[in-house]
Amino acid sequence: MNENLKNTILNPIFKGNPISVLVLGICSSLAVTVQLKGACVMALSVIAVTGLSSFVVSLLRNTIPNRVRIIVQLVVVALMVILVDQFLKAYAYSIDKQLSVYIGLIITNCIVMGRIEAFALGNKPGVSLLDGLANGAGYGMILVIVAFFRELLGSGTLFGFRVLPESYIPNNLVILPPMALILLGCIVWIQRSIQKDLQEK
Amino acid sequence: MNTNSNAYTIIYSTIVVVVVAAALAFVAMTLKPKQEANIKAETISQMLSAAQFASKEDLTALGNENILKMYSEKIVNAFTIDAQGNKVRDLETQGSNIELADNLKAQNYNIKDGSSVELPVYVFEKDGRNVNVVPVYGAGLWGPVWGYIAFNADCSEIVGAYFDHDSETPGLGAKIKDEAWFREQFAGKRINFDNPDNPFNIVKGGVPQGEEGASMVDAISGATMTCNGLDAAIDIWMKAYIPFLSAKAAAARETECNCGGEGCEEHSCGDTCTGNCTGAEEHSCTGSCTGTCTGTCGSSCGVTNTKAEEE
Repeated sequence: MNENLKNTILNPIFKGNPISVLVLGICSSLAVTVQLKGACVMALSVIAVTGLSSFVVSLLRNTIPNRVRIIVQLVVVALMVILVDQFLKAYAYSIDKQLSVYIGLIITNCIVMGRIEAFALGNKPGVSLLDGLANGAGYGMILVIVAFFRELLGSGTLFGFRVLPESYIPNNLVILPPMALILLGCIVWIQRSIQKDLQEK
Repeated sequence: MNTNSNAYTIIYSTIVVVVVAAALAFVAMTLKPKQEANIKAETISQMLSAAQFASKEDLTALGNENILKMYSEKIVNAFTIDAQGNKVRDLETQGSNIELADNLKAQNYNIKDGSSVELPVYVFEKDGRNVNVVPVYGAGLWGPVWGYIAFNADCSEIVGAYFDHDSETPGLGAKIKDEAWFREQFAGKRINFDNPDNPFNIVKGGVPQGEEGASMVDAISGATMTCNGLDAAIDIWMKAYIPFLSAKAAAARETECNCGGEGCEEHSCGDTCTGNCTGAEEHSCTGSCTGTCTGTCGSSCGVTNTKAEEE
């Protein structure tokens, strides 16, 4: 059991990372990684949504009518996303504005529905909560790594503070979404060269 | 229990929806005051940014409290006007009661056909001169776009602008907010009072060389629909504001004529100089009086001067 629990938490972060291994949630990871601050808030929001919705669906798992399963799950996910959005609007308004539509689009993030279908429907609430949080964290980790390089090279700053000297000319390509895709590719490459078993024959 | 029966499914779905709706309503009600305070501070910081007090980022960094304080310090007065340019009522400008007339809709038919409207005007003081800030609202590609345009004391020239949007595409339409060069173009431009149906243009493909005008700026590549929406917004709202803006500009010209330099001295300052300087002939004011009047004003002239500025 202990080994299982450890796997539940660690697997999504590295070996089964939702972005670099399962390649889910690419869209938002391209869009919100221009600045580190936005990426961190987005990561926290996704962690909250995946964790809470997995938890709630797991609580309800034995009562949900099978035919409207997906709809009930979507209602729960939408509830969590709107709650997160409302809290951000009240307590982090400028960041909410910066993330604009992408907070709302967490609803469509495949990671959330994927974990509910694959895990929360068949497991106890406590473990499901951990699984949701860990998957959100795995997603968030990649987001922060990509955002680190994009903000550093694209604006010469980190969290809005200037890090590189003024003489550094910001690379505009890094700001554009294609560069996020290239960076994601590099992350996948590095991970697969470390974890040989992920390589397709 | 059979969780697959029709009755169960329907009852279950109903309960879930009602519970979720209740939870959302509760949270929305609880957080509303906080969210509204944020929106108010955001609106004010956009105005202050349009009036060139500081960049939007610096203002946001100040925090809500300081933004409200700065507004109360810098504002001279705020009031609403009707479509004929007459003042309707004053808006509260101090402390925690700051009142904004910002509940205006982009597609306001009253604005389009010029009937009963209350248009806000915010007058700030910057470096000893008045700055008049007015809003524009419109429809972008995906959602509302809006902005604030700041005019100099006599409303003849734009000194700055700030634009924002609800859901334009990041990297394309969102550039009306993100790209500083876009709003910086507006400084020094004029609203064409003589053409109320199209007083300002945002030109797709850029203003052709040699055809630069006082009332046009370059549009943004890849953001045609957003720029068209913003252009329409500026046209509609400036049309509604033109009676006010042009009256202000005319009043400023009148002051200049009254206190004119050469040829004007023999006239007492109370003389009204109707319209622009051509009307000055009736009291033998020469055309040269505009522009040269400052500095040569007599003491009595000063009275007229301040009076005109107050209005």
